[in-house]
Amino acid sequence: MEFEPRIQGIACNWCTYTGADLAGTTKLKYPPNLRLLRVMCSSRINPSFIIRAFQLGADGVLVGGCHPGDCHYGTGNFYARRRLAITKKILDFAGMEPERFRVEWISASEGNRFAEVVTEFTGTVKELGPQNTFRIDREGAGCTP
Amino acid sequence: MTDAKTIEKRLKEEAIRLLGSGAVSAVLAWTAGYDEKHPMPFAARSLDEVDDLVFNEYCTANMARYIGDWPAGTKLAVAVKGVDSRAVVVLIQEEKACREDLVLLGIPFRGLRNHKTGDIIDERTTAATANPVLFDILLGDEITEEPGSPYDVLAELEAMGNDDRWSFWKKELDKCIRCYACRKACPMCYCDPCFVDLTRPRWADKSPNSAGNLMYHLTRFYHLAGRCVDCGECSRACPVDIPLYLFHKKVAKECEEMFNQTAGMNIDDKPVMVDFRVEDSDSLLE
Repeated sequence: MEFEPRIQGIACNWCTYTGADLAGTTKLKYPPNLRLLRVMCSSRINPSFIIRAFQLGADGVLVGGCHPGDCHYGTGNFYARRRLAITKKILDFAGMEPERFRVEWISASEGNRFAEVVTEFTGTVKELGPQNTFRIDREGAGCTP
Repeated sequence: MTDAKTIEKRLKEEAIRLLGSGAVSAVLAWTAGYDEKHPMPFAARSLDEVDDLVFNEYCTANMARYIGDWPAGTKLAVAVKGVDSRAVVVLIQEEKACREDLVLLGIPFRGLRNHKTGDIIDERTTAATANPVLFDILLGDEITEEPGSPYDVLAELEAMGNDDRWSFWKKELDKCIRCYACRKACPMCYCDPCFVDLTRPRWADKSPNSAGNLMYHLTRFYHLAGRCVDCGECSRACPVDIPLYLFHKKVAKECEEMFNQTAGMNIDDKPVMVDFRVEDSDSLLE
């Protein structure tokens, strides 16, 4: 059977999530591998969320936020940009393929862009294959999801 | 370079002067442990305790770690080596210490030794800051010789493929027994409670298993991004010798490259993770 990646999306309420909504209402097609988590702002994303997602079996993590300068709260995504940049370096240095983690700025009007990014990212992760680096063997003891 | 004995003598003189005049409530420095290799952190609170102060090449403990243990407003004299002074700068930037309450006794010193191996601690295992960047009184002559780059040691790991690097870190982090000595030795780890002690949400398993260790250490590396001054105390405190300093060095290097700011070098800087520039490039995320 062909490998179908599991992708954890984390999207900001005001831009990317609304963009995803737009992609839906305009009936755009994108792969169903994405599970989208809505947060109020990309700066709400604790880098531990990303590590945890990989531990719990995500093959890729896609973070979406407003374009810098368009944050609903003014400056949230400027902070997020720095945080997520260093998170990527940490994941890379720990031995995770950095391609499995992607950050995109997608505005509420960019339904097309959302569908494009998800399609492209799903393709990338599919090529990389299953993520077994951080994944916890859930059969083993001592792990709470 | 001024030798350790002279520094110890001057440390005692300054301690007598500061405690005698009542300018400070305590002098944070080191005292003799059970042998020469194990000096202990020590707070001299009165003139008769001044004689117990010690400085030798094994005095690696970062005394910035203990500033926060005192009630706010306590006047303290703190003996700081080069990297320790950078830790004090970060604490002041984060408003965990107040410049007015501190008398910093700067110790320019190179040639500290690791108490476990006896090896000289140089820029390979710690930051290459031999001269204090912030001090009130200097207890020795400034060191003029140029240090090497503190990041050269990373070359080997950086050249590895991701799979090899993961095997390396997995092997190292799996050794962790979760004693939290790294956290306890770290001057920047002052959170109460630490994320790893929380039960709701429970970020990481508390038992020492691979998943919990990975979560604890990676999150700690992230929490210290742009704040770690690379004093290397975490690795020396570690009972199972995990080379945490390598990861901290890497994160510090990336912060320097991305945001052009080295932790604890300037008291007016803001730590990079609580700051931003509108002109930060999106290419950081690639």
